[in-house]
Amino acid sequence: MSGLAKNLRVVQALGLRSIRQTFRRPQLMAPIVVFPTLLLAIQTGGAGSAVNLPGFPPVQSFLQFMLAGAMMQSLMLAGNSGGIALAVDIEMGFTDRLFAAPISRYTIVLGRLAGTAALGLFSALWFLAIGLVFGAHIAGGIPGALLAIALVTATAMAVGGIGAAVALRSGSASVVQGLFPLVLVVLFLSSAFFPVDLMIEPAQTIAQYNPLSLVVEGIREPIISGIAASDTAYALLAIAGIVALGLVLSARALRHRLRVG
Amino acid sequence: MSTAISVEGLERAFDEVLAVQGIDLEVGEGEIYGFLGPNGAGKTTTVRMLTTLLLPTGGRATVAGHDVVGAARQVRATIGVALQEAALDPLMTGRELIRLQATLQGIAGAEGRRRADDLLERVDLAAAADRRVGTYSGGMQRRLDLAAALVHEPRVLFLDEPTTGLDPVSRKTIWEEVRALNEEGTTVFLTTQYLEEADQLADNVGIIDSGRIVAEGTPASLKAEIGHPHIRLQLEEGSIAEAEEICARIGPLLPPVDGRTVLVEVEHGAADIPRVVRALDEAGIGVGSLELVRPSLDDVFVAKTGYHLEHEGEGDGEDEEEAVTA
Amino acid sequence: MEATAALPAWRANLATIGALTSRAKNELLRVPGAAIPGVLAPTIFFLGLNGVFGALTQLRGFSTGSYESFIVPISMLQGAGFTGAAAGVNLARDIEQGWLDRLLASPAPRWVLLAGTVLPASARSLIPATFVLTMALLLGAGWPGVDGLLVTYFMVATMAAVAACWGSMLALRFKSQSAAPLMQAGTMALILTTTAYAPLALLQGWLQDIARINPVTQVVEAARQGFVGSVSWAETWPGILALAGMLAALGLLALREMRRTGA
Repeated sequence: MSGLAKNLRVVQALGLRSIRQTFRRPQLMAPIVVFPTLLLAIQTGGAGSAVNLPGFPPVQSFLQFMLAGAMMQSLMLAGNSGGIALAVDIEMGFTDRLFAAPISRYTIVLGRLAGTAALGLFSALWFLAIGLVFGAHIAGGIPGALLAIALVTATAMAVGGIGAAVALRSGSASVVQGLFPLVLVVLFLSSAFFPVDLMIEPAQTIAQYNPLSLVVEGIREPIISGIAASDTAYALLAIAGIVALGLVLSARALRHRLRVG
Repeated sequence: MSTAISVEGLERAFDEVLAVQGIDLEVGEGEIYGFLGPNGAGKTTTVRMLTTLLLPTGGRATVAGHDVVGAARQVRATIGVALQEAALDPLMTGRELIRLQATLQGIAGAEGRRRADDLLERVDLAAAADRRVGTYSGGMQRRLDLAAALVHEPRVLFLDEPTTGLDPVSRKTIWEEVRALNEEGTTVFLTTQYLEEADQLADNVGIIDSGRIVAEGTPASLKAEIGHPHIRLQLEEGSIAEAEEICARIGPLLPPVDGRTVLVEVEHGAADIPRVVRALDEAGIGVGSLELVRPSLDDVFVAKTGYHLEHEGEGDGEDEEEAVTA
Repeated sequence: MEATAALPAWRANLATIGALTSRAKNELLRVPGAAIPGVLAPTIFFLGLNGVFGALTQLRGFSTGSYESFIVPISMLQGAGFTGAAAGVNLARDIEQGWLDRLLASPAPRWVLLAGTVLPASARSLIPATFVLTMALLLGAGWPGVDGLLVTYFMVATMAAVAACWGSMLALRFKSQSAAPLMQAGTMALILTTTAYAPLALLQGWLQDIARINPVTQVVEAARQGFVGSVSWAETWPGILALAGMLAALGLLALREMRRTGA
């Protein structure tokens, strides 16, 4: 069997494993979806009057605006938890088995990302469903919904790559877990929860330069107004950037791990 | 002699499972009572009920004259407890822990401090007293646990598997301490899975298996009940089945402990050895070693339950076939 | 051989509570970095909320133009909730490791053992509260005045006690640290389903209904007084009443669980 075919088989096997792991333990999955949902409900209820602010983008409702932010939060948590799962594998010695096999090291990371992608997909569907149930209108229709789902899934994998890199570098689940507050901060300092133009300095400036804002806008546009090529393009660019960062960090981390053992 | 612990029909059910199935026992004041049994027999459950940590689902028990359910607080004031999981806080120092225990027992500050110092001396932890418990070895932790249990000079001391997991030296130290306490008049109720511990320390032994007491008495009287010694043969060559068949003609077989050993009870003790050796020799079975073993508490256990206490789990299937009836 | 030098009951109880409180401080002083999450979480939330939703004060209905002033009491209360829930997690850990058995096998009354968990949490909550307050003042929040400050700190410390009762109840019920998310989520939900983000009139339908009946809303309003206006008894007593009610209810539930361990 050629090297590529073998690697693909491994990625598929590891991918299935990580998907099974994710959905087999709902109590671990719950916080990834439940907390953002709770926060969505509270923030929509609490700050919903913001739609009356001058300069607020035209939306059907605050909920419609916030869906993208909730999805982002969920996928960031998914990426973090994928990193934790990989770190646990490392701590338990499972990855040693993989390293000793004649397969490409990257299959380990790619296989893990499959689980993260599945979780991302799930949360995208979840929040779209919540939105529809509570009266939010998907302006872009079915194509818009599909685009949002695709972007969420891709971003989940991209973020998962960073989580995997941290897991590989540190080999410790608690280190990856400790990243979570940082993740939350980065998300706050983006357009996830509020229009950037209406944010207060210095948060506003940070959000303007935060690549996550581009991703959020890419997910949000199809929901609140319809598919827009430029927003989608910028989002893909940002995702590509995160993927690239994840790849570089993962490669270095893998080299480090193999050196250190 | 008055009764320190009295138990009548004590029962504890967890959902469908009856962990303790109606036990009766009595421990006199100043006695050391050994509660002997394998893992899962119900020892810890019983201790937890007697120390008011667990409510019985049937029966009653009194400790130092107080009912464990109705007068739980009074019970707690008179007992000292050292449980299987040494209930220690790794961030505290040994001294802080004993002082805390003194406070929990309602002992005034200065007096508590004095007693802590004395007890730490007594269990040989004075040097380590101001180090964090997390840095203590297993043996040190047990000694600290024991010291803490003594801070209020309890009338009855409960020790749940006090030497499990300890090296022989630490074990001996704990035994000496228990004997010394008993000499001062403290009643000791200890659970153990070690025959030697029950044999060496206990005035009275209760053997528990699957939630029931299967035998009770002094170690000597229990062993005398079993009566006969047995021969332990290690085979060098030849079939075990054949050897067992031959030996069975001489005396009842006991459940084997491994695949190369035969145990046969012999009514006349050493006098039966030549018979056994001759019979095996004639059948061409080579004996590697032979030993005459006098009855132990394990034999008592086997007689009552059908399996060994200290080698339980090996040869399970065969045990049932060859179980000896007392 | 009964214990000599035994103290009268009330003194023994006080001494026990003191000793348990003393033990509780070990986590802060002897574990490097243990205080950080408790301080970090509410601070991040404060900075985040302020940066993100600060423009809301432009809406009519806000009695202050400074969102920092509006939400700093929320963040302080959140710190209290977090600290209280953490006390519950610690209790769960103590149960898992067998430490609680030591306390339960002693003659100390159960309410004393509960107090030994709840009071340290209350005291500890003042640390993140002060940190957040300092940040807020540096960022331009209005000085609440000494009376406002005292009222806020009182609300914070008592809220922490309420959260600690909630956490302890769950710890004793589930006997496992895996109940931690429920402890944290419970206090978070309670504090945020109030006039946390905006005044009552500006809350959306369903949240407005919940906030109206949520007793913590009274606590929030009382704690917020000095920051958005002046302090008055009329605004304070509902908060005290709400806290008293929650403390009584959750305290009794936690005590019941404590008494029932071993059933």
